[in-house]
Parts: sequence; structure tokens; C-alpha cells
Amino acid sequence: MPPELKTFIEQLLNGITVGSLYALIALGYTMVYGVLSMVNFAHGDIFMVGAYVGSFTLARFADNGMLQTSPALAVIVTFIAGAFGAALTGVTVERLAYRPLSKASRLATLISAIGASITLQELVRLTPKLGQAVLSIHFGTFNLFPADFVNWGSKMLKDFGGSAARTYPALLGSGGFTIAGIFIPYVRLLIVGLSLLIMVGLYLLVQHTKMGKAMRAVSEDKDTASLMGVNVNQVIRTTFFIGSALAGIAGVMVGFLYLQIRVDMGFVPGIKAFTSAVLGGIGSIPGAVLGGYLLGLAEVLGIQVLPSVYKDVVAFAILILTLIFMPNGLVGGKKRLMKL
Amino acid sequence: MHGLSSLSSWLSKNRWLFFAFGAVAFILILIMPLIPFPQKNLWVRVLGYAGLYILLGLGLLIHVGLTGMLDLGFAAYYGIGAYTYALLASDHFGIHLPFWLMLIVGGLVAALVGVLVCIPVLRLRGDYLAIVTLGFGEITRLLFLNLKGFTNGSQGVIGIDKPDLFGMIFKTGTHFYYLILLLIIVFVFLTSRLVKSRTGRAWLAIREDEDVAELSGVNTTTYKLLAFAAGAFIGGLGGVVFAAWQGSIFPDNFNLMASINVLCLIILGGLGNLYGVVIGALALIALPDMLRGFSDFRMLIFGIMLIVMMIVKPNGFLPRIPPRLERQKPEQEREGK
Repeated sequence: MPPELKTFIEQLLNGITVGSLYALIALGYTMVYGVLSMVNFAHGDIFMVGAYVGSFTLARFADNGMLQTSPALAVIVTFIAGAFGAALTGVTVERLAYRPLSKASRLATLISAIGASITLQELVRLTPKLGQAVLSIHFGTFNLFPADFVNWGSKMLKDFGGSAARTYPALLGSGGFTIAGIFIPYVRLLIVGLSLLIMVGLYLLVQHTKMGKAMRAVSEDKDTASLMGVNVNQVIRTTFFIGSALAGIAGVMVGFLYLQIRVDMGFVPGIKAFTSAVLGGIGSIPGAVLGGYLLGLAEVLGIQVLPSVYKDVVAFAILILTLIFMPNGLVGGKKRLMKL
Repeated sequence: MHGLSSLSSWLSKNRWLFFAFGAVAFILILIMPLIPFPQKNLWVRVLGYAGLYILLGLGLLIHVGLTGMLDLGFAAYYGIGAYTYALLASDHFGIHLPFWLMLIVGGLVAALVGVLVCIPVLRLRGDYLAIVTLGFGEITRLLFLNLKGFTNGSQGVIGIDKPDLFGMIFKTGTHFYYLILLLIIVFVFLTSRLVKSRTGRAWLAIREDEDVAELSGVNTTTYKLLAFAAGAFIGGLGGVVFAAWQGSIFPDNFNLMASINVLCLIILGGLGNLYGVVIGALALIALPDMLRGFSDFRMLIFGIMLIVMMIVKPNGFLPRIPPRLERQKPEQEREGK
């Protein structure tokens, strides 16, 4: 096999891995847009929270030395913890920042979403500081928390958030296997496989469960759905829960892939996932998946032609061109949340 | 917050008091850098910086507050103005054009870019417009960062010329304080005239309802382009002043956070109130800058404030302008009957 072709195929695999991540995050954007007709600007930061919860969980495994003895368990638990951490964050953001504004203008909702994005980033960044301040509350000589608890608490707080980047242990290692001279790392295989599994699961959930039916109804017409006995608020909450959980899983994947997470890591993937959602047709679940993989591949192909520093410029340019020339995206209109 | 708006309505009823209050405040602002008091240089610098943000806020106010187009890429115009001056008035290329000419040129270049951005996005509204402008702002920053031969990348442009007025070189914070104060006065005056003109009414009509405005005979395309150009002009001009004051600029001066800071201050002050911009800038830029120990929590407070503000008081501290203009017409007609 000629080396150029080999590099090209490796780049394609790279594009598919990154595309899976974009697709997972894009699903959250598209589902929220489907039920609320709003861009959840804080979605990228929910993804970041997922990565941080995952890193915190891994630190607990490391405490017990279980990282070496049972790495598979650690990986599974980390994914679940990241998903739930992000899901709870998403539901909280919806309750505090979006629901009070359900009757307000779109501008107000968008600004509130920007506020939620900043708040989440800063909360994670300041967790050690804020937590330390809470732990050291005292009235005169009386400390609110016992000394043991304070020691334990400050140790836990050190493992979550902070301004510096946090590292993920290289649990999945640099192992992999080789097909026809092309090296496929396990971590990429896991990302692509798990993403596909989740997407199929989401499809089944939306098409074949009662909750899925309710989601589709709300995305068609909120008021009519409400008249038909659908609990709209509960559907919105569930949508945020599922969308945020997917973002959290993507966050843990990014941790395992790049081994480093930062508080501001959500911004660029967030915008790119939003681009994917728009490219596929925002509001459409298959569109988000299609858009994610297309964007992942477009970036890889873009940097074959342009210097690699322009990777982000390619994505932003695709976003702007799609919005201008094809605002309904590839798959279709705003109201087609769940249609194929 | 209610108190503030009733205070302002009370002041507008007692106009002599309003003018007296205004005159005293103006004189205080004018002589502030001249009277000695502790940490004066810090105060002058911080207030000058807040003044720069007032200028930028006026520009963004035309986009968001008056015309209703949510622009998340405002730092791009600011950056374009700054880089225009930095490249044409420094040792970087060895070109040294005069500051006063560049003040206009920087604004015009930014306005031109504003129009070029606006043309393709004319059809977009609301969140879509916001995301496109955000993408544009990021592309601009990435270009500043990556066109290394032209902008010197992350090393930035240093050794930018200081303004020169009949041989007097602007060096200290006090000089720039007065320059910025002058520009604020000029642009508050111009913008307030513009708001009361046909153009301003067209902008407000587009803000309230674009379809109705178009059906009422407002040429929405022209007026949106005009709004983009006017706002970007002020942003570019602010950038020129920033570059001249700092003496060096870097791509990260013009990131998304800069855009969001400007947006925050006009939202806090009242979306669509010229004087609200002043209050918002002082609150957001000057106060946290003075409270050093507090600065770590500044962004957290911003974020929470944005959410709370949208829930409690989505129209900001001061009412939208121009309430008098909006109410005046029907009353006059009734009196006529």
C-alpha cells in the first residue's frame, strides 16, 4: 500500500472518530431545539461537566488502586458517572435558566443560555476555591464542619475542577490492532462502537417508546401535545436529561482520547457539534448524526488542502455557508425532530 | 431596580434638577484626572477602560438594542480597527500613518467588513444570526492568530505609535481618558440624534417587528446594512483607540469573551438605552476592576447575573429608548382631534 493512501485512510479513521463525538454532542442540540426551538448555548459546557465528573470518578478508582486491577470496570463506571453528572447538570440548567423564560423572547432565552454557559465554566473552575470557603465556615471558634470532614472534603475538591488542565489516566493505553498495515487504536474503536450503539438505542427509544412518542408530539406542536395529555414539562426535562447524558459520554470519550481536559474545552466542540446539527438539519436526529460524521470528514479533508491550523476555520465556514444557503440542512426542516 | 426607573422619570419631570445633576457630574468627570487623590492613576486607567467599553457598547447597542440583531461577534470589528491601526502605524511594516486619519480609516474598514458580513446574513434572524456572527468573530480571531506573516500571530503587534496632537504625544492614561471622553460625547450625541431621525425610527421598527416594518414601507435591507455599518464603525474606532493606548495588541484581546463582555454591559444597562450603556460599563468594567480580591469571581457573577437579569428584568436597569418618541405621536394626534 502506498504511504500516501495509508496516511489518507488513517486520516479518514480520525475523521470518523471525531465525527462520532460531534454527532453525540449534536444530538443534544438537535433534541433540545426540537422540543424548545432554542439553541442550548450551554450544551458545550454540559459536555465539559461530563468530562470532569468522569475524571473525578477515575481519581476515586485510583485511590483504591482499582485502576490497575480492574480497568474495565473503571471505564464502564466512568462513562456512567459522566453521563449522569452531565444529565443532572442539563436538567438543572433547564429548570433554573430556561423554564422561567418559556414565555420570554428568544433573545432573552439566548442571553440566559450564554449566562448558563459562563456560570457552568466558572463553577467548575472555582469548585476547589468555593468548596474550601464553605468548608472553612466557622462561628468564632466553632467550626461548622468537623476537622476530619474538612480534610476529606478538601482532598475530594482538589480532584474536581480548578484552572489547570486535568489529565485522564491512559487506561485504554496505546494498544490497538493492525489491519492491512493500518493501525487502529482500541480507544478509537471504543468511541466509534459506543457512539453507534447509543445512536441505535436513541433511535429505538424515540420511535418505539411512549416517551419517544411524546417527544415527537411536543416537537411537532407543543400546545396540541399538551391538550392531548402530554406532560410537556416532563418531556422537556427528559429531553434535556438524555441530550445532556449523551454530551457527558462524549466528554468522557474526549478525556480518554486526548488524555487532557480543560474548563474551556466545551466551546470549540460545542460550536462544531452545533454546526453538525445545522448541517444535517437542526431538529432532526438522523440529520445530527449525518452532520456530525460529514463535519468530521470535512475537517480531515480540509486540512489535507489547508494548513492544519485552519481546521476550526473550515468548520466555522461550513456553519456560515450552511446557514446562508441551506438553512434547513441536509435532512430537513425544523419540525422534523424524529422523522427519518 | 424599580427605584432607578422611577428616579429617572422623576428627574425627567424636574428637568432643571436633571440638568444641575448632569452639570455637576460632568464637571466632576472632567476634572477627575487633575485633582490628586490616592491611587489616582489606577482610577484614571480603570475609568478610561470603562469609557472604551462605553464606546464599544454604543456600537453594539445599534446592532442589538436598536435594531434587534443579536451580534455575538462584535469583538471582530474592534479587532479589525485595532489591527488596521497597528499594522499601518507601527514598526511592524515601517508604515507610520497619523492617528487621527487612522481613527476614521479604522472605523471605515470595520464598517466595510460589517456590511460584507451583513449582506449574506440579511435573511437570518434571532439565534441563527447570533451563531453566524459568533462564527465570524471566531474566524476573524483565528485569522489574526494564523496569518503569521501579516499579523505576527500570537506574538501580536508591538510598538504601536502613540497619537500626536500638534506635537503633544499622548502617553499617559490621563491623555487617553480625555480622548475617550471626547469620543464618548461625540458618539452619544450622534447616536442620540440618529435615534430620533428617520433612520432611528426605522431601526426601532425593525427591532419591534421586522415583517410589520417591511410591510409599512421600511426598506429593511438598507436600514439593517446601515445599522451594521454604523455599529461596526464605532467598534473599529474603539479598536484604534485601544491599540494606540495599549501600544501592543494580541489576537486574544478580541476573543468571544470580549464580545460577551460588551453584550453584558448593554444588557445590564438596558437594551436600547444610550445612558444605560454608561451605567452598564461602569458597573461591569470599573467596579470589579477596583475590587481586586473579588476579581476571581467576576465571571461567575457575570454569568449568574445574565440569567437572573433575563428572568427578573429582561429590559435592563433603564427603560428602552425612546419612550417619549414612542408615546408622543398618538397623543399629538388625539389632541388634534
